[in-house]
Formats: sequence, structure tokens, C-alpha cells
Amino acid sequence: MGKVFDPSLILEFIPTLLKYLGVTLEILAVSILFGVLIGIGAAIPKLFNIPVLKQLVTIYISFIRGTPIIIQLFLVYYGLPALLALIHIDITRMDAFFFVIITYSISNGAIFAEIFRGAINAVEFGQTEAAYSIGMTPFHNFTRIVFPQAIRVAFPNIANTVIGSLKDTSLAFTIGIMDMMGRGETLIASSAHALEVYIALSVIYYVVVLILEKGFRLFEKYTNRYQGTEASVA
Amino acid sequence: MIEISNLHKKFGKNEVLKGIDIQVNKGDIISILGPSGSGKTTLLRCLNYLERPDEGTITIDNITIDSKKVHKKDIYSIRKKSAMVFQGYNLFQHKTVVQNVMEGLVVVQKKSVKEAREIALEMLKKVGLEQKTDSYPLQLSGGQQQRVGIARALALNPQVILFDEPTSALDPELVGEVLDVIRKISHEGITMIIVTHEMNFAREVSKRVIFMDGGVVVEEGHPRDIFTAPKEERTKQFLKRMTPELEYSI
Repeated sequence: MGKVFDPSLILEFIPTLLKYLGVTLEILAVSILFGVLIGIGAAIPKLFNIPVLKQLVTIYISFIRGTPIIIQLFLVYYGLPALLALIHIDITRMDAFFFVIITYSISNGAIFAEIFRGAINAVEFGQTEAAYSIGMTPFHNFTRIVFPQAIRVAFPNIANTVIGSLKDTSLAFTIGIMDMMGRGETLIASSAHALEVYIALSVIYYVVVLILEKGFRLFEKYTNRYQGTEASVA
Repeated sequence: MIEISNLHKKFGKNEVLKGIDIQVNKGDIISILGPSGSGKTTLLRCLNYLERPDEGTITIDNITIDSKKVHKKDIYSIRKKSAMVFQGYNLFQHKTVVQNVMEGLVVVQKKSVKEAREIALEMLKKVGLEQKTDSYPLQLSGGQQQRVGIARALALNPQVILFDEPTSALDPELVGEVLDVIRKISHEGITMIIVTHEMNFAREVSKRVIFMDGGVVVEEGHPRDIFTAPKEERTKQFLKRMTPELEYSI
């Protein structure tokens, strides 16, 4: 255990840690962006029932959902260089940041794939039939009718994934990333006030989540604007 | 103007349409009656190519599609000539009433937004919903939603409007307002094919009534003849069940 608990240190640590919030948010933003792209790519074989690819995607999603993110992180961190060494590409000197981005993107991609697939399937087929009946092409049907409605269905889950992913970034320090959590670990090592550091960290994460949630709620209200009178009042 | 010949459709092993032949002249109002499962809705959906027939040809105006060799282009062409009013309304839920009516005009017919809006407002006035232009479908009653559905179909200025049981999903007290709207537009010379269970309405507005059962056309003719003196036993049985207030000589 460290030294005697000193609450004033919490306030003192917060500004130090906040300097590294940017790294945390960068990991989050980049991995969400790539996660969305991977998610779209992985949802397509399932939506269009493309053989072989569909099975591969199913295995991918099931594996990601069935393993802890920290293990995925180590698998990528140790596994990817080993794999690439087979074809004589040396990435052992690559910045740990890239391994983190790759892991979190792959992980988010699996979750997004399921969210997108579910949301698109949740849009009533009658909407597509109506679009076709007025002569629309499948492209216009998707972009103008199905997709905008799928967003409404998907959004709460997307928001949850972003918040979950923000918290997951706190594991990146395990492969040496100097994000907020990583800085916290070094603060503990130098000050021996572990509890104060963790309280400071929890305050920062919590406030960021509250801000994100507030923003998501506003957007969710917007996506629900056409959901009858009850929903628009709520 | 519309010609359906030898139309067949199977769902798995279940043959729903067993060779349908129907001609419809321009401006005709045709009601298709028949028990559930008789294939009348499937027939209507085939006309719009929402279902793909297995055999037979469909001609609307100058477009003929032989179901043995269908080109995508033909499907779009035939859909542009027809408009559909659905049992479950199927309004675009994320679009306002006026946007619903404008959508096809802008996206498919490539009209300007301004022109589309003018047409849409005119059509909404026709169905008595000019007050609701900026509401979303889910804020409307079923009857109002279906009237928007009719306005959406009318706006496209199609050769034919296909009504698929337009009042079947409605509460009884809302049926009247929708039938009133259809009755009103029936005087405008638009060709209409109506699948319905509203016998009195069919009798009143139709120029011709088609009775289907078991995937075939059992009988067709002027509503006066069909309703008062049906020739076929199956028609008699059906009408007796549906319109007990009328007496049939059986």
C-alpha cells in the first residue's frame, strides 16, 4: 500500500492526467472511425447472405465477442509481428499506438457489424416495398429510405459502444501506451498515492462519459423526431 | 390498356395464381373480390413486380413483361406506370406527409423540389390533409395515413393505381373517410384496380367486378350482375357470407 490518503492530491493530479486525455480520445476516435468502416464491411456479407464470407464474418464476430479485449490486445501486439515475420516484414519497432488502434478497431468493428445488421433488418420491409412501388432503385431505397431509419434503431447501441470503448482504452497502457491511464500508472509509481490517482482518473472518465451521454441524448431525440406524439414529447 | 395473360405464381409448392387472364381498359375501375388466400393480393403485387410471376405476361400501356425473360429496366418502367396503395400504408416513417408525397416525384421522376411540392400540396388537398403536411406519419390516425398513401400514389400520375385492401387495417370508424377519398378520385378517370372486402363499396364504384378463388378468376362482370345474379356456385357462396343483407337465389 502507498502513503496515507491525502484528498488534496486528487485535485493536484487531475490537471496532470488531463494533459493525456487527448491521447485517450484519439485512440477512441480513430478506433471508432475504423470500427464503423470494418463494421459496414462485415455487416454486408450477412445482410446479403454471401456464402463463405458470411461464415468468416460470423466467426470473427463470435471470437471478438467471446474474448476479453485485453487478450485481443496482446494477441495483436505479439501475434501480428510474429505473423508478419513469416513474410519477412519487421514491425517489432512499430509504435504501440498502432497495435492499440488495430485491436480496438477490430473489436469495435465486430460490435458495429452486429448493430448495423440488426438495425437494417429492423426497418420494416414494407418501407422497401413502398420505395420499389414508386419506382425507386435499390440504391435510392437504401440511401433515402432504409439507412436513415436504421440510424434511429442503431444509434442507442452505437452510443453504448462508444462509451464502452472509451472505458476499454484504459487497458492500452498494458502495452506501454502513455494515455491517461498510462500516465496515472507512472504517477502512482512516483508518488505512491495510488488511491488518489485512481479517484482522479475515475472523476475524469466519469465526466467525459457524462458529456458524451448528454450529446448522444440530444442526437437521439433528433433521430426519434418522427416516432409519433409520445416519443417526441419524451 | 392493361393486359394480364396466363399469369402463374408459386410460393414453394403452393400455386397461388393458376393462369390469370384479365383485361382492363383505360379509366376502368375494377374490384377484385375473393376469400383470403384466393391470390388477389398476389395478383396485384405481380402487377407492380413486387412479386415476380413464374409464367405469363403483363402489359401496362406500352410496356410488356414476359416473366420468362425479365429485364431490370422493364421492371422500373412498369413500376413507373403504376402506383400502389398498401394495406399497411407503408408511408416513409422518417419523412413528413408532404415529403412522402414528394419523394417519388423528386427521386424517380426527377422533378424540381418546388414543382414536386406544388403537386404534393395539391394532392394532399384532394385527400383533405392540407392541414397535416408537416406531420410525421406516426402522428396521424390510420385513416389519415392511408389518405396520404393515396395522395402519394396519385401524385405520381400513374396509368393505374393498385389498391391492396386499403381499408383492411383500419378501425371500422376510419374506413369511411378512406372510401370517401377513393370514391372521389374514382370520378377523375384514373384507372384503378382495387382488392377489397368492402362489398358495398365495390358494388358502388366498380365498373367491373372480378371474383377470384383458388388462384383463378371464377367470374367477372358488371357489379349489378355479379352481386344480384352470380352465375357460379363459389361466387354465390362467398357473397352470401360477405353480404348477408342481400338475398341470392341459389
